[in-house]
Amino acid sequence: MTQPQNIPKIPAAGYELPLMLLTGLIIAGCWALIPGALAGRAPEFSLLQLAPGAWLLLRIDPLGVLFTATITPLWLLALIYSRGYIGTAHRDRYYLVLMLSLPLALGVAWAGNLLTLLVFYELLSVLSYLLVVHEETPTAKAAAAKYIVYVLVGGSCILLGVVLVFYLVGGQTFAAEPMLHAGLGWGYLTAIFVTLLAGFGVKAALVPLHGWVPDAHPAAPAPFSALLSGVLVATGAFGIIRVTHQVFGVELLRELGFMHWVSPLAAIGVLAAAVAAARQDDLKRRLAYSTISQLGYITLAISLLGQELLVGALLHISNHAMMKATLFFCAGLLLRRAGVRRVSEMAGLARRLPWTMAAFTLAALGMIGVPPLAGFISKWVLGMGTLATGQPLYLLVFMGGSLLAAAYLLPVVYIAYFREPVEEEWKNKAITERGAGWMLIPTLLAAAATVILGVAATAPGLPLSLARVAVSPFW
Amino acid sequence: MEIVDPRPLLALGISLACALLVFATGRHYGRRVLWSMGAALLKFGVVISLLPGAMAGEVYLFRLVEFPPGVGIGFRVDLMGLFFALVSSTLWIFTTIYAIGYMRGEADRAQVRFFGFFALCVAATVGIAFAENLLTLFIFYELLTVCTYPLVIHKETPAALKAGRKYLIYTLGGGGLVLLGLVLVQHAAGTLSFGQTGLLAAGAHDGPLGGGPLGGGQLGLIFAVLVLGFGVKAAVMPLHGWLPSAMVAPTPVSALLHAVAVVKAGAFGILRVIYDIFGLELLAQLNFTQALAWLAVVSIIGGSLLAWRQVNLKRRLAYSTVSQVSYILLAASLLNPTATVVAIMHLANQGFAKITMFFVAGAIEQGSGRTEINQLDGIGRQMPWSLAAFTVAALSFIGVPLLAGFLTKWLVILGALEGEAWWFAAVMVISGLLNAVYWLPVVYRAYFRPVTGVVADPGWLLRGPIIACAAFVVLLGTTAHFHLLPFSVASEAARVIWAEVAN
Amino acid sequence: MAAALTVSWSALAAWPHWLIVLILLPLGGAVLTPALYALQRRLVPWWALLVAGLTALTVLPLLWRLAHEGPFSYLPGGWARPYGVELRFDEFAALLAAAVALLAPPVLLFSRRYAARAVPAGRLPFYYTLLLLNLGGLLGLAITADLFNLFVFLEVVSLSAYALVAVGGRPVAELAAFKYLLMGAISSLLILLAVGILFALTGSLNMADVAQRLPALATPAALTLAAAALLVGFMLKAALFPLHNWLPEAHASAPGAVSAVLSGLVVKAGIIGLVRTYQLFAGVELLDTANLGAILVWLGAASVVMGSFFAVFQHDLKLMLAYSTITNIGYIVMGWALASPQAMLGASLHLFNHALIKTTLFLAAGALIYRTGLRTLEELRGIGRTMPLNCAALALGALAIVGVPPTAGFVGKWFIALGALQAGRPFFALVVVFGALLAAVYYVRIINAFYFREPEQKAVVTAREVPWSMLAPVLLLALLCLGIGLLARLPVEFLEPAVARLLDGRS
Repeated sequence: MTQPQNIPKIPAAGYELPLMLLTGLIIAGCWALIPGALAGRAPEFSLLQLAPGAWLLLRIDPLGVLFTATITPLWLLALIYSRGYIGTAHRDRYYLVLMLSLPLALGVAWAGNLLTLLVFYELLSVLSYLLVVHEETPTAKAAAAKYIVYVLVGGSCILLGVVLVFYLVGGQTFAAEPMLHAGLGWGYLTAIFVTLLAGFGVKAALVPLHGWVPDAHPAAPAPFSALLSGVLVATGAFGIIRVTHQVFGVELLRELGFMHWVSPLAAIGVLAAAVAAARQDDLKRRLAYSTISQLGYITLAISLLGQELLVGALLHISNHAMMKATLFFCAGLLLRRAGVRRVSEMAGLARRLPWTMAAFTLAALGMIGVPPLAGFISKWVLGMGTLATGQPLYLLVFMGGSLLAAAYLLPVVYIAYFREPVEEEWKNKAITERGAGWMLIPTLLAAAATVILGVAATAPGLPLSLARVAVSPFW
Repeated sequence: MEIVDPRPLLALGISLACALLVFATGRHYGRRVLWSMGAALLKFGVVISLLPGAMAGEVYLFRLVEFPPGVGIGFRVDLMGLFFALVSSTLWIFTTIYAIGYMRGEADRAQVRFFGFFALCVAATVGIAFAENLLTLFIFYELLTVCTYPLVIHKETPAALKAGRKYLIYTLGGGGLVLLGLVLVQHAAGTLSFGQTGLLAAGAHDGPLGGGPLGGGQLGLIFAVLVLGFGVKAAVMPLHGWLPSAMVAPTPVSALLHAVAVVKAGAFGILRVIYDIFGLELLAQLNFTQALAWLAVVSIIGGSLLAWRQVNLKRRLAYSTVSQVSYILLAASLLNPTATVVAIMHLANQGFAKITMFFVAGAIEQGSGRTEINQLDGIGRQMPWSLAAFTVAALSFIGVPLLAGFLTKWLVILGALEGEAWWFAAVMVISGLLNAVYWLPVVYRAYFRPVTGVVADPGWLLRGPIIACAAFVVLLGTTAHFHLLPFSVASEAARVIWAEVAN
Repeated sequence: MAAALTVSWSALAAWPHWLIVLILLPLGGAVLTPALYALQRRLVPWWALLVAGLTALTVLPLLWRLAHEGPFSYLPGGWARPYGVELRFDEFAALLAAAVALLAPPVLLFSRRYAARAVPAGRLPFYYTLLLLNLGGLLGLAITADLFNLFVFLEVVSLSAYALVAVGGRPVAELAAFKYLLMGAISSLLILLAVGILFALTGSLNMADVAQRLPALATPAALTLAAAALLVGFMLKAALFPLHNWLPEAHASAPGAVSAVLSGLVVKAGIIGLVRTYQLFAGVELLDTANLGAILVWLGAASVVMGSFFAVFQHDLKLMLAYSTITNIGYIVMGWALASPQAMLGASLHLFNHALIKTTLFLAAGALIYRTGLRTLEELRGIGRTMPLNCAALALGALAIVGVPPTAGFVGKWFIALGALQAGRPFFALVVVFGALLAAVYYVRIINAFYFREPEQKAVVTAREVPWSMLAPVLLLALLCLGIGLLARLPVEFLEPAVARLLDGRS
């Protein structure tokens, strides 16, 4: 087969490889922190004092290490993928922002106190605007505008909450001991909880604050969609974990009973978003709703306040990141190689794009929770945790979510493999995977990771073990 | 520790001498530039030389003349005044460079007048910052009004003259109120000197309205008169009308109005009223600041809403100033140490961010003649440096961390919580969002709309100050814990103010 | 050395006859002027200047003595008190005398070149004669201690003033002079009537004596009539609202130097008259002087506001200045009538300071007219570029008249405002501030026209500074507007005891 004519080769900018190397080094650095984290160490570094008593401070605790160990490889994959995906338009800006957001994401993970978390989180969110808007089509612009509105409102809520905490207890470092105590009064505690949860909830796609997610994902370039779903949305969930377990603490939250309100909300999110996902024809939109649904899992798990559940939530952050990245990478390949955005147009594409669809299928199965893939592990832990906390009703939600995941992902697989292609439509197009190595390799790597994370889940240094270490101080 | 030192007078004198030299010999381009730049740098040197001593707790005093007994012109350098003087003299340097570039094309006569009166305005600002008493403050406050007028009507078009007239009516009206307040304070307290915690608080005074000691109503009158008087220049709603009109002036003048001198002078006057004339203890008993706070809230929200509606870039900037300067008033009226820090600090935060934006607006106008926001499509690609600086300033106003504006927002909210007034915290958050609502579309247009037309290169005389001021915005947001940098000065100033209360 | 100087000064000041010299010098000089004109006409201006200078020098030992001894009297001819003529030098007399002494030489120096153009050649001797007569009359009025002489000197001042308005020979000026004469005549009649009544009631003309005798009288109707006649008479002379309408035209149409004297000094004759009336009736219980004060304070406030209001809408520069005089008379009267120590102090200071400032302004305005022949702001636009020094002086004067600290105009208004508070009448403090604001408005109009508009008239474009003999007095006076403001503590300390004494006498 000849080189397809309708796929122009993208000239290299020249800096891709150095950037990949740099990211590789960062990954190595982050992984090198794992042994220390397993040993329970949490070194602190003060960066800068922003205002009296308000320090920018890094604290590399197991929770943060877990998060960075998961997300940094995604960056490398996205970088490699970008080499094949991103055209020359605005390319410099794209890479600049992408590389700038990596240290900011690390900052979010390693933030040693609420202020630092806020600062890096805000900067990361604002900077991401440039990636969402990257293609500068009217849809992208509209989606980006919606995104920035959500982010700024959410950021303002967080700011309020952070200042409240700072006012009440000072600039405390995250630690096992929660910052707040019941003596502060119901009013203050409610205000803090509502502002912080709403603020991080916007990012974590907590229903009903999820409005930006289905628009931003399809509009963004595929590698960034992957990061958006895998990392940025997860920072919101990560923030919620910090808030619930290190700012409030499990005891206090139980006493206050706020979680009785959050859990149903998250549960509704899991199911409703999954139903919505099934109704989408646009593939990336469908995946975006899936993200909302899966993040609902995480929020629900956090809100149920169980040790195993939190382990499950952390695990699911990692696993979901990898799986969703695979799916978005595949969506990008479909778009670039076949010009296909819609599920209904995918009929028979598996014949032309076999590797892509194989990866997609693997990730989809993982997402549904088929053993021994990554998704199964986290859902298993979540299920066990739910039973352990004695709230079996929510187990139904988890299972319902999985069923619905099958309902919105398997049809894609089915159509791609088994529905007869409408030959007239694309027989003249040279749809092929050849020459798509830059995109295909990270996709396959991510898919492989889905398998590894499932099969070798209990290996030391992989998310499960790290999550257990990270979570143990809170109980 | 009070030390007699002529340096405050020297700082003032340098600006005055600069004005005289420019008027006398300024028709020659080189001399004009030499005098202006030389004076700006020299004055900055003099002012900053006061800083180490002042931080160590020294207060420099210089009494010039006393005309009626007990009423005179004198200078006193305390940290709050020094902070204001530093902000203004730093900005003077940048504005001078910018103005040299901006005014190049103008007639010599116009340039002489511009640079001369500009120097006079800056002299007046130093006078305000270093005023030892309310009368001195008032004199320089009025001098500032008078010397700004020629700058506002610089273009001598009917619109400019009309704006100038409006400016004068407002500011002279405000000046009249201040004068009335001056008389009332002198009568009630028997002195006008700052440097004690509350002129009016020290002992029981006879009320200015006759009959018995100073009561709440009489104090309220004094407070209202002074705050409204200074509030005109601080562009507090509903006294802000002059500010958008004055936008007809050339850009360096707008910078002067919004960042270097005029609006700040009003805000600084209110700070003096609160911290020096009434004093924290007295105000804490009186509850007047509650009214001031709500006035500030009206300006903060109202100014932003009006800014949103503007289609002209400079007018949007003007209304944004209405909103931003009231942060200072809100913070000052909260009456707690944290809020005091930010009340002082925001003088710098607002100044540098706003001057950056004005410089950029001016550079755009100079390079392409565009003044309306909907003409700015794609300009970010044509003027990347300038628009990057503009974006930094805009993000600062929105309150993005690591920029100056975040510090302001953080501290005001914290101050509001300390003052048990959470609703002001909410106001700050809403205001930050409103800033996003009207600044981000501008940035968006500049970067994401297709390029239209051509833009002449603004040149480094314009670009340099723009970048430097934007760099300052970042600097202010990140250097809170470095000694002798602005934040430390502001917090030390606040500490001194509150230490006096504690004693 | 210093001690020797002090001794010689006090010896000089101790000479008893300075007071009479003070009057005789200008009056005598005035009488001799026509004769000198006949002999050597070119010397006349110098002669007048010499007389004015000597008169000014005469004031110095008097001030010295006043400062060291307090008020003192001089009885020409050695007649005992109620019967003879008495001259008395107190602080208020000193104020007016000092103003005359300070302003007469610059005005006359200015006149040398100015009058040569503004006054028909044949009338020049009259011009100088009248001017000297007027100044002499003012001095006499200030220091006389008896009612009849008060009237006589007032007439000297008034008559010479009417003539001075008309001396330029312009038809407008003659009409204005006639109007002025008419109002002046009414005022003189009223004052004469009052003097007659008082003489009939008390049998004395010496003011101190009359003041002592009045409280014993029981004829309220007559007393009221006398007081009212004096009040209205002097109000007319002082051009207090609502009796002001003769002033603007008269002052505006007179030659520049004359306008300066009229606005700066002559209207103050009315003020001094009001002060003396006060002193006369202070002890009379039948007449409630507080009521009198209440009326005057309102009239003063009305003058302030109305004068400023009219001034704002004038186009003619000199008319603007003339209306401003009404405003400032209002300040002074208001300050006096508020009758609190600080207000009276402020009024006294302003009496002197306004004389200085208004003279500066009128001379500077005269210089503009001298060069360009133009009078309205519209015509004079852009003049600041061609006559920078003169316009700077005018601007400084304008600043002073607004009352910008630290100029001379500030101090008086400051104390009047404080005094209003002291009297428990804050409304009038508000009036002071409001008046200053209105003044700022017309000041801005002047500055705006002079500096920020493009010149249109050819006369403006080609104008140049006036000769030094005219410019020097203008600049000197302008600097004094600033300097006297800066040195205000001296007159304040000088006047404080006098005000205290006056208030003691009243209560």
